[in-house]
Amino acid sequence: MLIVHCPVCGAEGDETDFHYGGEAHIRRPATQDPTTVSDAAQRDYLFMRRNPKGLHFERWRCDRGCGKWFHAVRDTVTMDFKATYGITELPPRELMEAASGEWAAFFKDKLDAAKPSRKGKSS
Amino acid sequence: MSEAQLETALTGREAPGDLAIEIRELTTRGMIDLRGDAGDGKFMAAAKDVLGLDLPTAPRTSAAWGEVQALWLSPDQWLILCPRARTEELLAALRQALAQIHSFAVDVSDMRTIIRLEGHAARSVLLKGCSLDLLSPDYAAGTVRRLRFAEIAALLHIVSERPDVLDLYVFRSYADYAWEWFLANGRAVAAIQPFGQQAVPAV
Repeated sequence: MLIVHCPVCGAEGDETDFHYGGEAHIRRPATQDPTTVSDAAQRDYLFMRRNPKGLHFERWRCDRGCGKWFHAVRDTVTMDFKATYGITELPPRELMEAASGEWAAFFKDKLDAAKPSRKGKSS
Repeated sequence: MSEAQLETALTGREAPGDLAIEIRELTTRGMIDLRGDAGDGKFMAAAKDVLGLDLPTAPRTSAAWGEVQALWLSPDQWLILCPRARTEELLAALRQALAQIHSFAVDVSDMRTIIRLEGHAARSVLLKGCSLDLLSPDYAAGTVRRLRFAEIAALLHIVSERPDVLDLYVFRSYADYAWEWFLANGRAVAAIQPFGQQAVPAV
C-alpha cells in the first residue's frame, strides 16, 4: 500500500484515493510548428519512457479528493514517496541532484539554470 | 394531469432499529456547485455578497452563515448548501452577481444523495469502508473531505462532534448501494475496534 500526500489539498491517503498518471515532465516537441518535428522526436514524445531503478518522477491525480493533478517523486526500489510538488513546478533541488541515469541528464540543465549566476556581479 | 413530485433516491427506506448508528436521508437540502478563481478578489466578493459568507479557501474546510453553508471541494470549487426551497433564488442571485466574472454556478441538488450518520459509532462504522484515519484530530467538526468510500466516490462532511453527526454525500445512482452497505455493516455486533484487539461478539 502506497501512502500518498496531495500537495494541493494536503490530503493524505492510500493509493486507491489517487490515480497514477504516467511519467512526469514530458514536453511536446515544437508545438509552434509541428511540420518541423522529426519522426524520431515525435516517437520519443509519444512512446519512449524512462524505467529507472531508483528515483522516478511521475504524475498523480488526487482522484477522490480535490481532483487536481500533481507531481510525485517515488523510489521504484522501496516504493517510497520522497516528495510531491505542484503540477507546474520542478522537483525539490536535492531530489533533482539525487536523480540518476536519464533523469539526471534531464535535470542537469535545469539545475544549471537554477544556480545563482555570478556573471555581472560587481566586486 | 398529475403533479410532478420530488422523490428522492431513498424514499420510503427506513433503517432497522438494531444498527449501531442512526442513518437517515436528508431530503430538504439544495446544493449548488460553484466554481471560480479563489485568487480573484471580485469573484470572492461577489460570492460573499450573495451567500453572506467568505468562501473557505483552506483545504478541507467549510463555512456557514445562517442556513447557507459552503463546503470546500477543491481550490476552485465549492458546494453551496441551502434549503431546497431557496435553491433557485440563491442560484439566480449568484448568477447575476457573477455575470461578468469567469465562473459558474449550477444547481446540483439532485446529483447527490445525503445520508446522515449519527451516534458514537458513526466513525468506526465508516472506517470499515474507507482508508482515512477518521479518529485523528484532523477530522474535527467542519471538516470536508472527498474520499473513496466502499469503492465509490463520496463526500464526507463532519457536521459536529460528540455526539458525532456525519453527512455522507454519494452520487444518486449509488444511494441504494451506500444505504445497503450501512445496513450490512452498521450492526452493533459487527462493531470493530479500530486499533488493538478485536472484541469478540457474543454468540
